[in-house]
Amino acid sequence: MVSLINTIDTGHEDIIHGAELDYYGLKLATCSTDGIIKIFDVKNGNQSLIRELKGHQGPVWQISWAHPKYGNLLASCSYDRKVIIWKEAGSDWIKIYEYNNHDSSVNSIAWAPYQYGLILACGSSDGSISILTCNTEFNTWECKKISNAHTIGCNAVSWCPSNVPDNMFESKTSSTRPPIMKRLTSGGCDNCIKIWKEENDRWIEENRLEGHSDWVRDVSWSSSIVIPKMQIASASQDRRVIIWSSDDFINWTSTILNTFDDVVWGVSWSLTSNILAVTGGDNKVSLWKTNVENQWICINEDASCASILT
Amino acid sequence: MAPESSKDQQTYQMRSSSRTIEHREIMATAMSVNFNGNWALLAGRRVLALQNLDENADSVVRKFSRNCKYEVSSAEFANCKQTQEFCAIATNQLIEVVTWGTSEPTLLHSLRSHTRMVTDIDWHCKEPMLLATCSIDSFTHLWDLRDARKPSMSLNAVCMSGATQVGFNRISGNLLAAAHDGDLRIWDIRKGSAPIHYITAHLARVHGINWSHRRESCLATASQDGTVKYFDVNNPRRAEKIITNSSPVWRARYTPIRNGLVTIIVPHLGRGENSLLLWSNSKQTDPICSFVGHTDVILDFAWRPNRYTNTELELVTWSRDQTLRLWKIDESLLNCCEPVSPDRDLVDDIGTESPPEDNIRIVCDDFQSSEVMEAINIARSPVMHIEPMARSLTDQPTCSLHHEFSLLNTNHPHFQIEDYDAIKRYAVVKVQAAGHIVNIQSKFPTEYPSPNIYPEFRFLSGTTLEDKNCRQFMAIMKRCALQRVKSSRTCFEPCLRILIASMKKTYITNGNDKSLLRLQSPRLEGALSSTLHDACIPFPRTSGVKFNAIGLFVTFAQNLNTRILSSKHSKLTPKALSAISGGLLGNVMGTQPVLYAHRESHHIQDRSNKSSRSKSIHKPITSPMVQIYDFKRLLHLNKEIANDFEIQKNDLVGTCKKSQMISEANGRSDLVPIWKLAELIASSCVPLEENCGELLFCNDPFKRNILESLILHFAVNGDIQTAVMLCAVFHKCCPEVETSPNKMPMGSPYHTVLPIDKFNAHISEQSLAMQLKQNRSNSWSDSLDLPDSLKTLHQDKEIFHCSLIKKSNFHLFNNFKTIYGDILFGWQMLNKRSEILKNMYFGKSSPSSGVEFAAECKTCGKLIKGPSCVSCKRSVMHCVICRLPVRGAANVCLVCGHGGHTKHLEHWFSVGFCSLFFVLNIFLTFTFYFRSTEFVLLGAVVNV
Repeated sequence: MVSLINTIDTGHEDIIHGAELDYYGLKLATCSTDGIIKIFDVKNGNQSLIRELKGHQGPVWQISWAHPKYGNLLASCSYDRKVIIWKEAGSDWIKIYEYNNHDSSVNSIAWAPYQYGLILACGSSDGSISILTCNTEFNTWECKKISNAHTIGCNAVSWCPSNVPDNMFESKTSSTRPPIMKRLTSGGCDNCIKIWKEENDRWIEENRLEGHSDWVRDVSWSSSIVIPKMQIASASQDRRVIIWSSDDFINWTSTILNTFDDVVWGVSWSLTSNILAVTGGDNKVSLWKTNVENQWICINEDASCASILT
Repeated sequence: MAPESSKDQQTYQMRSSSRTIEHREIMATAMSVNFNGNWALLAGRRVLALQNLDENADSVVRKFSRNCKYEVSSAEFANCKQTQEFCAIATNQLIEVVTWGTSEPTLLHSLRSHTRMVTDIDWHCKEPMLLATCSIDSFTHLWDLRDARKPSMSLNAVCMSGATQVGFNRISGNLLAAAHDGDLRIWDIRKGSAPIHYITAHLARVHGINWSHRRESCLATASQDGTVKYFDVNNPRRAEKIITNSSPVWRARYTPIRNGLVTIIVPHLGRGENSLLLWSNSKQTDPICSFVGHTDVILDFAWRPNRYTNTELELVTWSRDQTLRLWKIDESLLNCCEPVSPDRDLVDDIGTESPPEDNIRIVCDDFQSSEVMEAINIARSPVMHIEPMARSLTDQPTCSLHHEFSLLNTNHPHFQIEDYDAIKRYAVVKVQAAGHIVNIQSKFPTEYPSPNIYPEFRFLSGTTLEDKNCRQFMAIMKRCALQRVKSSRTCFEPCLRILIASMKKTYITNGNDKSLLRLQSPRLEGALSSTLHDACIPFPRTSGVKFNAIGLFVTFAQNLNTRILSSKHSKLTPKALSAISGGLLGNVMGTQPVLYAHRESHHIQDRSNKSSRSKSIHKPITSPMVQIYDFKRLLHLNKEIANDFEIQKNDLVGTCKKSQMISEANGRSDLVPIWKLAELIASSCVPLEENCGELLFCNDPFKRNILESLILHFAVNGDIQTAVMLCAVFHKCCPEVETSPNKMPMGSPYHTVLPIDKFNAHISEQSLAMQLKQNRSNSWSDSLDLPDSLKTLHQDKEIFHCSLIKKSNFHLFNNFKTIYGDILFGWQMLNKRSEILKNMYFGKSSPSSGVEFAAECKTCGKLIKGPSCVSCKRSVMHCVICRLPVRGAANVCLVCGHGGHTKHLEHWFSVGFCSLFFVLNIFLTFTFYFRSTEFVLLGAVVNV
């Protein structure tokens, strides 16, 4: 069902913390404790290093590709409190923006759905979340900050997808359709998951989900494509992954996906939101899917991708 | 300090104790008074003693010997009547709950969960079975004695420092305060996931927390920094009141009745000064009364309720001078605590006249039977952090050897504590760094730590250092130790750290270990220097997962040996980055990259386990690998099918047949029956009669439902590709394709006709955007070429009536198509994408939710959104300046509605004309662009 199409030796001198493919699956970016970001060409099984981006003075925790509509843009966040946005210009990569307004390590970054524009959210250990908006016409960046979003620190941010299905009932005609509101979710050291929405140019806390008993390490928002339902997957130091679902942004119900053997720190939804990948301190990758009874089941038994390679 | 400053002008009373009971042999470190106030428990390492406090019962003391390795750090009687015989005694990590029967204390429960020394216990004041304990391990546990196997709740303060004090709120009982160094965490025990308040209370360690008996949200804290602060937890930013002393305050407790507060001050040099003071809560400048008599530090005190009257109290104190004293606090004293200014007339006769020192001496002589100084050396309380040696207590809180051991970092990657004993005063440590192993035995003199008294270090067998280096390192450690003990600070861990650092330095620069040299990098040294900071930064991920937008999946996993990083008690990966850089007590980043450093040390550990001392063998370090998986099949995405799939709107049956073949050829033979079914749905579209054919087709309930369930089935199961293909095929399909092939779009003369045709005029309420979408597409548009016989039918019906897809699903299916369109975009199949996306339904609402412009036609009065009225065939907008119809850019006033050519208006205002016939209050620039065939509308209703 799944085929391994490429294995890339990154050549980093230290542990890598993030790897992400661009939209087309042609380029791979990796980041590492050695402070370097590497970009590889992985088209058709290729694995040649295109570029090393040096600009951070500390471990780089995460990288993220923007939608190709805005060009080949890569954002990176680091322990050195900086967020850097890189752009491919011809054959070279240049630093187009550097954001220095956090007081501690920036742990997570996420690009907003491209429909909203070129917007980046950054979560930092200083407890705040920054929303950087690019005016693509003048190439200027504007920053809004949600200060004290999470006590002690914010560990993860994720945007609400823009394609949230409407309530499909006849009564709800298109004219009463609420305006699209930018929302994002974040998880932090206060064991909470918070949902933020932009209202009148300000980011306000819309909801707070409490269920984890330890730091939340990762959050990922997706919307089910079939029924009007949002889902947030959260991974925590308490070894659990919780799926939060709601159809109105107000009432959220939680389902514990699983309690793992070690802490969990990574969740990622597939594009159609029906498969969830989870990873954690034991370095295992497990893939989860709902079955017909709407229960979550693990589809790779020994927690390796090989078991579903068939 | 108030008592000092007021020596010349005595403003407070002096009281001496009403009774003194001496117990030299008990050596208790904790004291507690029971619910009724008739028994006091004195708990020590060897003896538990119950002293009867009733009058004329001095001799009644019951002693129970126990032999324990550790001192009792806290002992508390329960606060409720139901459990008044219960008593919790904390020794090291264990809490024992005992009950006092007629003879022996009976052990009821052993509460085990803390992993470091328990520092404080507090019973709930209303729930008889509930108690809270806190520990150096930074946890605060709540225990319900009905199930004492494990804590009923664990409050985990994300904190570098252990919890030193805990206290339940007395009024609601729901709040709980825990002290961590100078900070307070306020928890609501109904919600234990995170503290509800953080209070940065003091600059130094908080020694005492006490909740108010009267006001629910108020508490008082006593701290090493010499202050007592009153806080309202609802306003945690600022202390309400502050009492300032020059010496550390050990305890501050509200009086159970009235408005007072009693503090224990740890005086300079540990003895001699008055240290038990009563304060009024409304006056922080001077105490009300000083209780004199104890000759040494007071370890603890408790209230003894007077059962006969509610107006008086008794204070029970236990001091390191091994005496238990009782002090009467009568009504007159309590009256002084009231907000009304204290009545000087009530000042006791011993207070005002003679100098206070004399008074103390008199009192002391009265009650002190003998000098008790020799007892001090033995009474060594781990909680007190007070060393028997006479020295300043105001500098950094020092601690006993036991305390020092308990604070040793057990997670350090380079050293392991093999053995230690605080009683025999030695420790054996194995240090591994730079490929060498050093076994050190350290002996601590009894006077340690005090100036020039430092531990004696000895290298044991198994040490792999050369003699030359042994001497060198010994000298370094000695130097470090001397420096630390000079100011009476502990030195064990710093010595170990300096040893590791110098070992690394020596061997790495010597080039003995090239592998380490290769990894040497200063890049993290600066970055990771502040450990405290790193406590809040999550532990770095060593593995990751990420789906990409088109069904690829990236993953990586690097097996760090995080086990050695994690605490010995749990096998879990640590939480914070600080676990790497040295754990609880500070940071010693070497010169190596942080994560490889651990890989390195683990390697050495492995080697040494095999008792091989070879350091040349080195695990090859491979750089991290990233795997890319193709998940398309699991996600039911097939690029080939997407590429081959074509929609022929005029031949639905053919489309379905072709899809069958495509599916089969590309490994989705499971879809063959589906497309066969689709073919059936499409094929019976051929009507018997022209007129009712469409009705049959569109309104066939069976077909509609089966199609819908097919599409939803695939969507629910994540096969968005098939779902979208099905809805694209059946979206807006009309029987006319079969019935009137002569009116094929390509041959239609109306194909490129302007949007405003005679049919659309009748459905003018439909948004222009929708019309545009329809006409822009090259697909066959049903609304344009309908036979005359069906026109009337269509005038009443909406466009979706001629589709097999229910109106209610339009939005949902549009959503599917958008998602699928994004996937096709990622596959760079832009033509295929637009082929799918043109089958989208655009409802009445324009996608923009902003303001919409409309102009009123002068002749018919209808609201027209376009540039001209379709029925009157006249332009609706005329420029107010030139009076000509506006085509192109136009501006209008939102208030009066006047407007015209942008250029004209710009000129009008730039010249500075004052408007004569209209007032333009708010002039917003909304711009229309009218082109010959299409236009874009951007926003507000304007009446011209």
